[in-house]
Amino acid sequence: LDTDALVSEALSAVSDSSTADELDDARVRYLGRKSDLKQALREVRDRESGMTLNAARVEIEEAVAARRAELERADLARALGQEQLDITLPGEAQRRGRLHVITQVRREVEDIFLGMGYEVVEGREVETTHYLFDALNMAPTHPTRSPLNTFYLDGDVVLRSETSPSQIHTMEERKPPIYMVSLGRCYRRDTVDATHYPIFHQVEGLAVDEGLTLADLKGTLQHLLRSLFGLERETRIATHFFPFTEPSIEAYVSCFLCDGAGCRVCRQSGWIEIGGAGMVDPNVFEFVGYDPEKVTGFAFGWGLERIALLRHGLPDIRALWENDLRLLEQF
Amino acid sequence: LRLPVSWLREYVDVKASTEEIAARLAISTCEVERIIVQGVADEDGNLGLFRVGRVVEAGKHPNADRLQLCRVDVGEGEPRQIVCGAWNFGEGATVAVALPGAVLPDGHALAEVKLRGESSSGMILSERELDLGVDHSGILVLENGPEPGTPLVDVLPLSEQVLELETTPNRPDLLSIYGVAREVAAIFGGELRPMPGTEPDRIADEPVDIRIEDLERCPRYVGRTFRDVRIGPSPLWLKARLIAAGMRPISNVVDATNYVMLALGSPLHAFDQPRLAEGRIVVRRAHADEEIRTLDGVVRALTPDDLVIADAERPVAIAGVMGGEDSEVTEETTVVLLEAANFEPSGIQRTSERLGLRSEASGRWEKGVDPHLAEDAARLCSQLFAELSGAGWTGESDVSAELPGPAVIHLRPERTSELLGLEVEPDEQRRILEALGFEVSADWNVTAPTWRARDVTREVDLVEEVGRMKLDEVPFTLPARREMYGRLSHWQQHRRAVEDVLVGLGYFEVYTPSLVADDPDPNAYRIPQPQSQDMADLRTTLLPSLIEVARHNLDVGNEGIAVFEIAHVYRPTDEELPDERVHVAGIAQAPYARAKGAVEEILAAGRAVGTFTRSEHPLLHPGQTATTTGGILGGLRPGQLEGDWSAFELDLGALELGAGWTYEDVITYPPLKQDLAFAVPEEVLATDLVEAARAAVPELRSMEPFDVYRGEQVGEGRKSIAFRVEFRSPERTLTDEEAAGLREKIVAALRERFGAELRA
Repeated sequence: LDTDALVSEALSAVSDSSTADELDDARVRYLGRKSDLKQALREVRDRESGMTLNAARVEIEEAVAARRAELERADLARALGQEQLDITLPGEAQRRGRLHVITQVRREVEDIFLGMGYEVVEGREVETTHYLFDALNMAPTHPTRSPLNTFYLDGDVVLRSETSPSQIHTMEERKPPIYMVSLGRCYRRDTVDATHYPIFHQVEGLAVDEGLTLADLKGTLQHLLRSLFGLERETRIATHFFPFTEPSIEAYVSCFLCDGAGCRVCRQSGWIEIGGAGMVDPNVFEFVGYDPEKVTGFAFGWGLERIALLRHGLPDIRALWENDLRLLEQF
Repeated sequence: LRLPVSWLREYVDVKASTEEIAARLAISTCEVERIIVQGVADEDGNLGLFRVGRVVEAGKHPNADRLQLCRVDVGEGEPRQIVCGAWNFGEGATVAVALPGAVLPDGHALAEVKLRGESSSGMILSERELDLGVDHSGILVLENGPEPGTPLVDVLPLSEQVLELETTPNRPDLLSIYGVAREVAAIFGGELRPMPGTEPDRIADEPVDIRIEDLERCPRYVGRTFRDVRIGPSPLWLKARLIAAGMRPISNVVDATNYVMLALGSPLHAFDQPRLAEGRIVVRRAHADEEIRTLDGVVRALTPDDLVIADAERPVAIAGVMGGEDSEVTEETTVVLLEAANFEPSGIQRTSERLGLRSEASGRWEKGVDPHLAEDAARLCSQLFAELSGAGWTGESDVSAELPGPAVIHLRPERTSELLGLEVEPDEQRRILEALGFEVSADWNVTAPTWRARDVTREVDLVEEVGRMKLDEVPFTLPARREMYGRLSHWQQHRRAVEDVLVGLGYFEVYTPSLVADDPDPNAYRIPQPQSQDMADLRTTLLPSLIEVARHNLDVGNEGIAVFEIAHVYRPTDEELPDERVHVAGIAQAPYARAKGAVEEILAAGRAVGTFTRSEHPLLHPGQTATTTGGILGGLRPGQLEGDWSAFELDLGALELGAGWTYEDVITYPPLKQDLAFAVPEEVLATDLVEAARAAVPELRSMEPFDVYRGEQVGEGRKSIAFRVEFRSPERTLTDEEAAGLREKIVAALRERFGAELRA
C-alpha cells in the first residue's frame, strides 16, 4: 500500500467534501472498517509499517475533524444568516415613567447647593402673616399683604406667597452659620396667563455667617446659573428693591440662545432676568435675634417654573399643569 | 415711566448715548424695559422725507368737493402737486409735508397716488399724524414761516427716543425726569442742572384761604391763585413732550400741571377757583354720606377714611387721586387755584384701592412724595402758567405740618467695602453720595436728601447707594466656608427613592393644584373668596385630582396611563394652622395588583414592613380595597373611569423608615424551595395563611402566593392558593426530611386554623 498516495488522496477527498454527508462518505471510504487503511492495519506485522500506517490514520482523522468543524461553522453561519431581524423595529415595551420637569429642576438645584455645602430645609405652605410678612420686614402697606394678592384663609393665616418664611424658621431654630435652601409650592392671586399661575414653585436660599459679602452672593448665583444654563454663561446683577434684603439685586444670566447677541427670548438685551436676591436686611436679623454687626448674610428666592420654561423652550406656564402623557414623556 | 430722552438731557449734561444711559440705569437705578422711538422713525433716511413746504397754489379738487388740490414748494424748485382733505389753510401757508416713501409714526408708508384722477405726490400733515398733538381738525400750519425745503426735524420735535422705566416702590423720586437726571449725573459724573422753574412776577397779594384738618394725611398744602388765565392749547413742544411721556394734552393749564408732575414728580391740581364755594380749600376726611363726581364722570361714594379737598360746602377732589368735575378747569376758566400739596401714602393707597381708581397722581403719592417738592412744583408751574396762558400770580398760602428733619446717619466707609466684598475708596463713596444729593460731613455723618428720607435711614442703606453704582465691579467669590455640610435628610432621600421607584415602575409624575373645587372632607380649609370655584378648598387628599388627570388623558386618547404625585395635603386641626402632610398617590390603567405592586415597592424602598387589611374607601372598589402602612390602595370603584383602574395614596411621613439593615447570608446555606397549594374557604386571605404558617414554623423564610384557582376541583365557595415556600436555617443546610417535617407542621397549622386542605 502506498501510504503517501493514500493519505494525499484521502486529504483531498476530505477537503473536497462540501456537506456533512460527503464528509462522512469520505471518512467511511478512508477510515471505515473496510477501508484499505484499516485492512492494512489489521494485516500489519512489523513495527515500522505499523507506525507509518497509524500516522496516516491520525492525519486523516484530524483532517476529517477539522473539516467537520469547518462545515459546522459554515452551517451555523448560514442558519444565523436566515435569522435576520429588522433591527430598526422598536424595542420591547418596558415603559418607564418620568419625573415632572419641576421635580427635575428641583433636584438639580438641590444637588448644586448640596455640592456647595448647603442643607435642604422643608417648609410649610400654610403660614401666618407673622412669618410671611412681619418677620420679613414688610411694611404694613406693602401691596403683597393685600388680600387681592395673597390668599388669606382666616385672619392671620395665609398661603405662603414665597418660600421666605422658611428662612425665618431656620434662623429661629438655629445659630449661625447657616447655609440652606428650601424648595416648594407658593401661592399668589395671579390671573392665569402664559407666565402666571396661582400656584408656583420657588427655591429659597439663605447663607448667614461672619463676613459674607455681596461678592459671595454674586459668586454663588453665578455658580447656580452656570450649572443650570451652561458653564460659559455670564452673570450680572442689577439694583432692585425687596423689604427683606439691603442691598437688593436682581440677577441676570447671559442669554443662552443668542449668547448675548440679542434675540426674542432676551428681548434683544442679551440678558435674561432670573430672579431677586440681596444681602439680608439687618431688620430681619434683629427679628430673629442675630446681631447684624457680627454676622451678615445673603438670600434669594427664585421661581423654578421660569428656569424650566427657559431651559425647555416652553412658551406657556400652563403646560406644566397640563399633565398630558404626550407632554410628560418628553422630559 | 416713559422718559423722553431730550427732556432728560435738558436737566443733565452727559455725552453718553441713549443706549449707554439705558444700560447703566438698568444696573444702578431701575429696570429699563425698552427704548422706544416716539414720532417719526429715524431710520434709512426716513426723517429726511419730512420737509417744510409752502403752499403756492390751493384750490378745489376738480373731481371732489371735499378735497383741495395744492401745489407745494418743498425746496425742489418745481412745486409738487398734493391732494389734501383739510381747508384750514390757503396759498402762502407754511406746512409740514411728508414725501412719497416716508413712513409715518403710525407705520403707514406713503406712496405716489392718484386721488380722484389727480396725482398726489406727498402729504400735508396734521399734528396727530406726527404724534405732536391730538388735533385732527386741520393740518398743522407752521408759524414764522421757515424756508421751504428745511428739514422738518429742524423746526419740530419730530422724533424722540423714550426710555420705558420700571421703578421700584422705594424710589418715588424716580417717577420724575429730574430724579432720573440726578441718577444719570451720578452714574456718568455729568453735571446736574439746577432744578427748573423761576418765580414769575407776583401782581397782587390776595389771601388764599387754605385749611388742613388732617395734617397727618396731608402734611402740606401750597395754594396759589392766578387771574387773567387764558385757556388754550399748549405749544407744540409741550404737547410733544406730554405725548412722548404717555399723557394726553388737554389745555395749557392742565398740561402745565402734568408737565410739572412729570418733570419733578410732585402731582399738582388746578381748580377753577370761582367754582369753589367761598373760594376756599378745606382738606378734611369725607363725611359718611358724601359723594363726588370725578373727572372721569363717575359718581363715587366716599367714606370717612377718604381724604378729600373740599370747598366751604362739598368735596371738590379726592385728595391725591382725582379731581372733581364741578371744579375742573374749562375753556371759560379765568381764575385758577393751583394745588401743590403733599399726601401721606397709605391713605391714598387705601382710597385708590377701595375705589379701584388709579391715576398718575395716586401712583406717585402711594410711594411717598417728598413734601419739600411742593414749593418747587408750585414755582415751575407758576412760571408755565404765566408763559403759556398769560396768567398773573395773585396770591399764595403755604400750610404745613412740621416736616420731619432729615436723618443723619453715620457711615463707616470700611463697612461699605466689607459688605460689598469690593474695596471702594472713601473719596469715591463721598463722590457718589454727594452726586445723589446726600451731604457728607468730614467725619462721615451723612444727611439724606428729603426725597430719599423714607428709604435711606440706616448705614446699610448708604452702603446700597454706593454699591448700586459699583455692581458690575463686585467680584465673584464664594463664602469662606466654615462648618458647612451639605446632605439630604433621610426623609428627603426617601422621597427621592419613592419618586425613582414609581418612575421605574412606569408611573409619570404629575403636578396638580393644591386648591380644588370641593374636597371630600367637609372640614377642609376653604379660601374665603376663591379666585375661581375650582380653586376653593385646600385639599386633604390627592386621589380625586389624580382621577381627573387620568380622565383627561383618557379623553385625549392616551394609553397605558399611569401617573403619580407627591404633594402636601392639609388636614384640618383645632390649631391655627393645618397639619401639613406629604402624600404620595398614584393611579394606573390596570387592576388592583398594579397598585398593590407599586405600594409594595414603595414600602420596600423605605425598608418599611407593610400589612394589608381589607378596608373601604368611597373612591375605591368595595371588594378590592386595602389599608396599609400610612394609607390606602385598591381597584378604582367602577363608574368613574372607563376600564380597570387601580390607585393608592400613602402618607410618606407615616411610612416607617428602617434606619439601616444587615445582610442575610443566603449563599452558604441556601434555602430549600417547595410549592404548596391550599384549598380554603373564599373569605380566607392569603396573608392570614402566611401569618399562621410563619407562627408555626420559624424556619419559614418566605411564603409567596403565586396563583389562585377556583373551580370544580376545590368546590363551591372555596379557592386554592398556591405558594412558593422557602425554608432556611442560618446554621446548616436543611435536609429533605427536615423540610418535609416543616411542611407537615404548616399543613397541620393551616388545617386547624382555616380548614385548609393541602392540594397536589
